[in-house]
Parts: sequence; structure tokens; C-alpha cells
Amino acid sequence: MKNEKVEKKYIPEIPAKEIDELKSTIQASSEKIMAENIERMKKTDPKRPQAMKYFDEISNLFGQRQRELAAEKEKGKKIIGYMCLFAPTELILAADAIPVRVNSGWYDTSKIGDRVVPVEVCPVIRSTIGAKMIGLSPFLEQSDALISVLTCDGMTKLGEILSDYKTIWEMNIPRVKDAPHSLRFWDDEIINMKKQIEQFTGNKITRKSLKAAIEQSQKATRVFRRLQDLRKGNPIIMGRDAMLVNQAYLWDDKERWTEKASALCDELEKRAERKDWVCPPDTPRVLVTGTPMFWPDSWKVPNLVEEADPKGIIVADELCSGERILNDPVGVDEWTMDDMLNAIGERYLMASTCPCFTSSDGNEDRINWLLNKVKESNVQGVIYYVTRGCMLYAMEYTRVKKALDKINIPMYYLDTEYTREDVGQMKTRVEAFLEMLTARADM
Amino acid sequence: MAWEYIGDILRLTVLGGLGAAGILTVLLWKKNLATKITFLRLVVQAVAFTALFYVFSLKLPLLYFFIFIFAITLFLGRFYCGWLCPFGFVMDIEVMLRKALGIRYRILPERFNGILHKLRYVIVAVFLALPIALWFLQPPQNLNFADAMAKLLAGPFRPYTALIDPLIPVVVPWTSNAVNVAHINFTYPYVQDIIFWAGQNIGEAIALVFIGLTLASSFVFRRFWCRFCPTGVSLAVVNRFKGFKWAPLLHIEKDEEKCTKCGVCKRVCPAQVTEVYEQKGGKINTSMCMLCLRCAEMCPYAETLKVNIGNKTVFKSRNWLEPPKVE
Amino acid sequence: MITLGLDIGTQRVKAVILKDGAVVSRGQAFSGFDAKKAAEEAVAQALNLANLNRQDIAYSVATGSSMENAPKTDSTVSMMGADAKAGVFFFPKARTIIDIGAEEARAIKCDEKGVMMDFVINERCAAGAGAFIESMARALEVKLEVMGPLSLKAERASPINASCVIFGESDVVSLIHRQESKPEIARAVFDAMADRISSMVHRLGVNPDVVLIGGVAKDVGFFASLKRKLGVEILVPEFPDYAGALGAALAAASRAKETQK
Repeated sequence: MKNEKVEKKYIPEIPAKEIDELKSTIQASSEKIMAENIERMKKTDPKRPQAMKYFDEISNLFGQRQRELAAEKEKGKKIIGYMCLFAPTELILAADAIPVRVNSGWYDTSKIGDRVVPVEVCPVIRSTIGAKMIGLSPFLEQSDALISVLTCDGMTKLGEILSDYKTIWEMNIPRVKDAPHSLRFWDDEIINMKKQIEQFTGNKITRKSLKAAIEQSQKATRVFRRLQDLRKGNPIIMGRDAMLVNQAYLWDDKERWTEKASALCDELEKRAERKDWVCPPDTPRVLVTGTPMFWPDSWKVPNLVEEADPKGIIVADELCSGERILNDPVGVDEWTMDDMLNAIGERYLMASTCPCFTSSDGNEDRINWLLNKVKESNVQGVIYYVTRGCMLYAMEYTRVKKALDKINIPMYYLDTEYTREDVGQMKTRVEAFLEMLTARADM
Repeated sequence: MAWEYIGDILRLTVLGGLGAAGILTVLLWKKNLATKITFLRLVVQAVAFTALFYVFSLKLPLLYFFIFIFAITLFLGRFYCGWLCPFGFVMDIEVMLRKALGIRYRILPERFNGILHKLRYVIVAVFLALPIALWFLQPPQNLNFADAMAKLLAGPFRPYTALIDPLIPVVVPWTSNAVNVAHINFTYPYVQDIIFWAGQNIGEAIALVFIGLTLASSFVFRRFWCRFCPTGVSLAVVNRFKGFKWAPLLHIEKDEEKCTKCGVCKRVCPAQVTEVYEQKGGKINTSMCMLCLRCAEMCPYAETLKVNIGNKTVFKSRNWLEPPKVE
Repeated sequence: MITLGLDIGTQRVKAVILKDGAVVSRGQAFSGFDAKKAAEEAVAQALNLANLNRQDIAYSVATGSSMENAPKTDSTVSMMGADAKAGVFFFPKARTIIDIGAEEARAIKCDEKGVMMDFVINERCAAGAGAFIESMARALEVKLEVMGPLSLKAERASPINASCVIFGESDVVSLIHRQESKPEIARAVFDAMADRISSMVHRLGVNPDVVLIGGVAKDVGFFASLKRKLGVEILVPEFPDYAGALGAALAAASRAKETQK
């Protein structure tokens, strides 16, 4: 752990009293917002599945999970946080440590982060910095180390800034993933990370433990895909509920999540048999893509979509806080240590469709993934959600628009910030877009 | 006389029974869907191995096999390489042994692999040229064409030896040119030709080194022999001609839009075929793919990789959604 | 079938009464703090002119930026949707509709049926809306209605700080000192606005015919600047400021038909 007396490179001095005040205010308001969001989701779907109760509880970031992690730490388990989905969670699990994603979804902390970096920086980054400055995030606070994958500019520097507080392990990621030397390089990074984790936790990652961890995550992927498939048909679950379930994987206990999500899928299947749709089947089906939307405050836009007049339903998303989390399984050929590590490396590098990659043939797999998703889930419109400062998604917009124009699917560029002030403006746009989708569907 | 027939019938029944039992086992009891086809393939290879042994004991002219290979290649691609070739079976047994010992496979560097592919053509060219060269070196006699052809085909280096030698199963029913160990006749592709060409003693020494190298390489590099096996070259040659672009009918079809370029197909391929990964959709054109279908088995997206005969799909990659079916 | 369309704008509330596909009457009132009262005033005006009663209205639809403050109507429609319908009603070949209001500007792409296919809104930058003209008119000490004709007299536009309208006002003083004439400054104002609007419209793609609606459409100066900047013919209907309300009334007509079925 970093010595607190060592001079901080980035973070200014803040009086402890101010930190406490800010933390208690923002935490109180955040708890209210989380409860409010859950109420709103309940209202939209009066016959919400019973299995969602568990996810409502676990979605309270300051509640059960925080206590559980504290208890695990007492027992001596290490908690390893990460910011980007490239961190190899299977390795962490195999070393008997707990992986948890620490990106912040609190709007209010982004203003605190403004003291360290300018407002032009991606708000997710500013919010995470702010959350650390006042010690708001239970996961960030309890992490013993953080894996910082150098994907976009923001993430690269975030690791550096957070090194004022925590042990940071950087993972270099090659930005052209098609080249064979890229995969070799990334495989080296994975091996390096394995050694790092082993040393830190004091536990050796054996073939048995890694096999168990990979099998667990394959099981989770299966349940996840089951949920995905269920959403492809007529509306069976509101998008926000599914997004919450998906995102809960990032901080929940993986085995328990698999169990509870599986129970949810069972319930949804029964619902499908009864043809008990959650909203009329002709509700406009929307796909959201862009900057990740973290619980709780970033539910702003999904709330608008699903409570608008006319109502829409989010049937799929291409977000790294949503359907990218568990979309790909680790494909192991022969269960030797080397093959498992190779499989892990490949799954995290090759299967990812983050826009931070590029290639001479134009990063096609990302566009193809989106097009495929649009077709399979019968999506009628795409909302391209970008927070101001997210260069990668903002720059890719024209390309994605052209691709969607070719298949005649409308897309709307929704450009917003980590603020509640623009809800009115967002509402106008979202409602106009949904209106457009309804009119098109009527034709 | 009657005993021979009964022996034949017995062998056939045992063969059929083993085959059926094996296939049933695979299809009903194998829980792990990711290796179902692989196990099915092993069973088929075992059956083919035994069947070929039996067929060879009928002492049919080897020319028939040459024609058979050529025809089957046109329609089924290198299907026989992956599912019927006895030498392939030997290599797959080695793989099973290696996995049991927990040893990891290695991959050849891409460039070296490419060189091996080219070596195929060299071997075929040499074998095709040698008999013609030999024929010219001998003093010309007044032979008509039929006699000349007969002499060519009866000579020590029959031109098609190169193309079908690997087909000779390691355990053979005949005793000539085979090594008898405990009443079982062992032979090995090309050993016969090496010994003929280099003389008995040196030939045997070279042959032993050859056997050792190829067996050892196949232990570490999966399907090592297949990369330069000239038996498979007929497809590569035929495919170049415009009229034969439809060949083979049995091929792998890729849906470019569904492919996420995750690279699993490239990694698990025993022959290190990269065309499935690199080609942009449609019919995969490759002269190395042995249709072992490992790529389609491991592909994590439904209907991305399909195995088609013409336009009809016989197998396709599945969504990892399906939990293992527990009976 | 008689329907009513209400456009609750930030400055004024507009009402339009439509009977069997033709405009019967219009009414308007200043929004002020009480949009509800203003709406009732506007509706009363329109009803009066048409010699109708409230009960004669079969269906009413509200639109506008302050829709939530509207009195109860049968349903609402987005401004973009209303604009698209109105544009095609005025000019059947309209495919790009530009709506400039007091505080925001919108551009809509639509098809021949008046169904919107894409839209773009700019409410963050006041330099693309009517408020800019108002503040610059104040700075130049001329009446708002005079700005347009004044700008037409200029041969060129003064160089003004076009990045932010806040600076525009204080710029005027230094410009006058530099002997820039008022017509030239007025023209610069309209050129700057046209610049903003045209880059917004280009995001959609400029598809003829292009129709300009909203309060600012009546301004000849802006019209001239926008035509120059876009480089295409621009059509302006007879009462462009009522386009939103008209669109709402048209939406009311089609929705009433739906419910009757």
C-alpha cells in the first residue's frame, strides 16, 4: 500500500472535514437515487420478476456487498479492482482473490474530480477521481490493488492519478489486435499479470484452480447468453432490469450471480410461455451503444427511454458496462496451463469490440457485432450515447451511422454529461426519437 | 474354405459392432459438447483404420486407391485426411497420449509452416519425375505405348506411390516389406521406397531416423505430417483451375457478419490453418484444412461457421448458451 | 373534423384550429410566467375568430419546448414531429425543415408523408436562435424589426467575434469605433447565425426542398444570409411562426382518425 506521507503527484490537499461532509452528502443522495431508480423500474413493470429482488438488494453499493467484502478482507482475502474489462478476472479468481470493477457512476463526484483534471476530460474518469478523493466508492476503497489497462487516454492517465492512493498494475494493450505480435505481446502481459497476482496474494495459480475459475466464468457466460436470447423475442424484461442484472456481475460474487441470474432466466422463460409481455410487442425496440453507463446515476438516459411517451424498450446494448461484460467465453482447447493462459489472453484481446482498437481493415468486427445484434434482436433504432470527452466513441460515430444507414436503421447521437441538469433536453430528444420510431413502424 | 468366409463375416461383424457402439457412446453419453465431434471423428478413424486393413488384405491394385483418393478429394475435400487416413489416426493417438501426459503442443512459426506446404509439391514432382527419368535412362526398346506404360507402372517408383503411401496403415496384412514384431506386420509410409533407393542397410538406418523424426514431431506439433503430405496435394492442384472452383463440395462456410474475430478457430486448428480466420466470409478456400471441424466445434457464436455440402448445412457452430445436457 | 394544435413556446403560445385539412384560425399570447393562462388566451382567440366553442374541438395536441406547462390536451407530439408535418403541409415537396425559435434551432429530415426520419437540435448555443438577434439589436440600439431590412443594405459583413454571443454584444462598441456601419454589423449577425444553422443542417444532409419555419423565418435579413450559406432555394410559408401549432393540429387530426377506427 502507498505510504500516505509520500507526496501526492496529482491530488491536492483536502481537509478531512470537507471530505467527510462531501462523502456523507453524496452518499445519502446516492442512496436516494438508487432507491428511486429501483422504484421507477418497479413502476414500469408491475409484474417484475421475483428474482429481481435479489438484484435490487445487491445493487445497493453501500449495502450488503460492501459488508461482505469487508468480511472477506478480515479473513485475509485480497480484493483486486480494475477499470476496464480487459483485466483477466479468471486469474484473480484462481488466486483466491476477489475481482471488482471500480468505475464510478456518481454524477456529483465528477465536480470534485474537476479540481484535478479539466472539465473536457471524460466524466467517467473525473467521477472516479472524485469518488476516490472523498472515499465514496466502497469497492475502490476496499481494493488492495488496481489493474489499470491502458486503453483510452482517460484510462491511461487515471491509473497514474490513482497511483497517489493505490498500488496500480498497468497492462499495456496493443491497439492493433490483428497482428500476431500483438497477441504475443498481450500473452506476455497476461503471464506477467499472473505472476504479479500470485506474488501479491501469496497464492499460486495452479492448473486446477485456473480450470475451476474458467469453468465458473463459462457457466456465467452461458446464463448471460440465456438472458440475451430471451430478450431477443417479444419484450419479456425491461431493459433497465436486464442492464442492472448484467452490471451486477461486476461487483457481485460470481457464483452467486450465476445462480440468481439463472433463476431469473427460469422465471422469464415461464413468463414467455404465458405470453405475459412486459409491454406491448409493438413498443419501439432500442439498442444503446457508446460510453459505458454506470449505476446509479447513468440510468438517466435509460430511464428516459423506458418512461417516455411514447415508451421505448431497450432490448440490447453494446456497452462495456452491459452486454460486453460476459459476451465471450474463454475457449480452452487443452486444459494445460499454457493453453488456458493463451485462451484467456485471446478472449480478452481478440473478442473485445472496444473502439480503442483500430486496424487497417477498419476495425470491422466491431461494426459487424453491432449490425448482427441489431438484426438478431430486431432493433428498430439505435441511441448512440456519448459523454462529452469520450473521443473514441465520438470519432467513430460517422462510421457507425453510415453502416446503419445502409440497413436503414435510424440512429440518434445523444451527447450528454455527468449532470442531471440536462434531463429536460435529453427528454425532448429521446421522445422525438421514439416518436420517429413509432411513426416508422406504423408505415 | 468355409472357415475363411466365417472369419470374414466375424471380422465384419466385429467391425460393424465396434463402430456402432462407439458412435452411440459418443452421441448419447458424451456430455461435453465442445468435444463431441472430435470423439466421433476418433471413432470413425478407428473404424476406417480397421476397414482399410481388411481391404488391403484383399490385395487390390494400388491404382484403385489413387483414383479413389482423387475422386473423394474433389467432392469431400481433405475429408479423408481428417476422418479416414490411418496415418492421421496414428497421429491422433499420439495426441491422446500427449494429453494424458499433460504435455503442451507447440506451433510451427507461420513461415516455416508455409515452406512445408510448398514441400508437398516438391515431393510430388520428384516422385512423378523419377520414373520418367528412369525410363529415359534405360536403353530404348521397341515398346508400344501399352507395354511402355505397363513397364512404367510396374517399376520400383510407381508415380502414384508418392500420393498414396501414407494411406498404408501402420499395421498391414502382408509380410513383404513389413517388419514382423510378435506376429504383427508393421510398415511405415515411404520406408519401402527409401530402402529400395538407398539399399538395405543404409536405407534401414535412414528409415529409422525418418520414422523417429516424424513420429516425434507429430507428438509435439499436431498433425505434423499432414502439412507436407503429398497425398493432399491433388486438391490444391485441381482447385487452381477455373472449372473446378466448386471443389470441394464439402467445405466450411463462414458468416462474416457474425464473426467477431475472436481467433479461437485459428488457435485450435491442428493443421494451423489461418484461412478460416482471415478470409472474409463465404466458402473457405484452403488446401490444408482436413475438416476435423475443431474450429466449428469451438466457435462460440451460433451459425458463424458452418460445414456445408454444396448449400446444405450438416453441422454448425453453436451458441454457448446450451448448458451441457445431463442425462 | 375540427382539431386544435398548441405550441407552447418560451416566448409565446401559438394556437391553430384546423378543420378538415384547412387552417380556420390562429391565436397567440405571450407566455410570461403562466403558460397555462397564455395558452387559454391563445385558444380563446382562435376559437373566437373561427366562431367555435371548446366542445367543437374533436382532438387537441400540444407541442413546444414547455409542453409540460400546457393545459390538458388529448396528447402531445414532439416539436420535430410537428415541424415535419407542417413543412410537408405547406410544401408537399419539403424534405428538410429548419425551425428557428427564440432559444433553440432544429433541423428535421422527413419523407413525403411528413414522417420525420432524422433530426438535430441545438439548444445549447444561443447564437443559432432568435435571442441572438434580439441582443444584438439592443446593442446596436435599433428596433428588432429593423435588423432585417438594415442588413440587406450592406455589401459585406463586419468581422465579429462569432464564437460566443455574449462577446458579440460588447464587440459592437469596438466595431462602431472602427467605423463599421450598422448595416454591416447587422449582416454579420445574420451571417454568423446562418453559419451555425447551416453546419447543423449539414449534419443531416441538405435535401431539397428546404423549408424555413419558426419566428425568425420572417426576418428577411436572416433569410438572405441562410440562402447564401446553404446555397439552395429556401421556401418560407405564409405564417412560419405558427408552423409548430399547425403541425400539432395535423397530428391531432391523424390521431383522432386512429382512435375512431
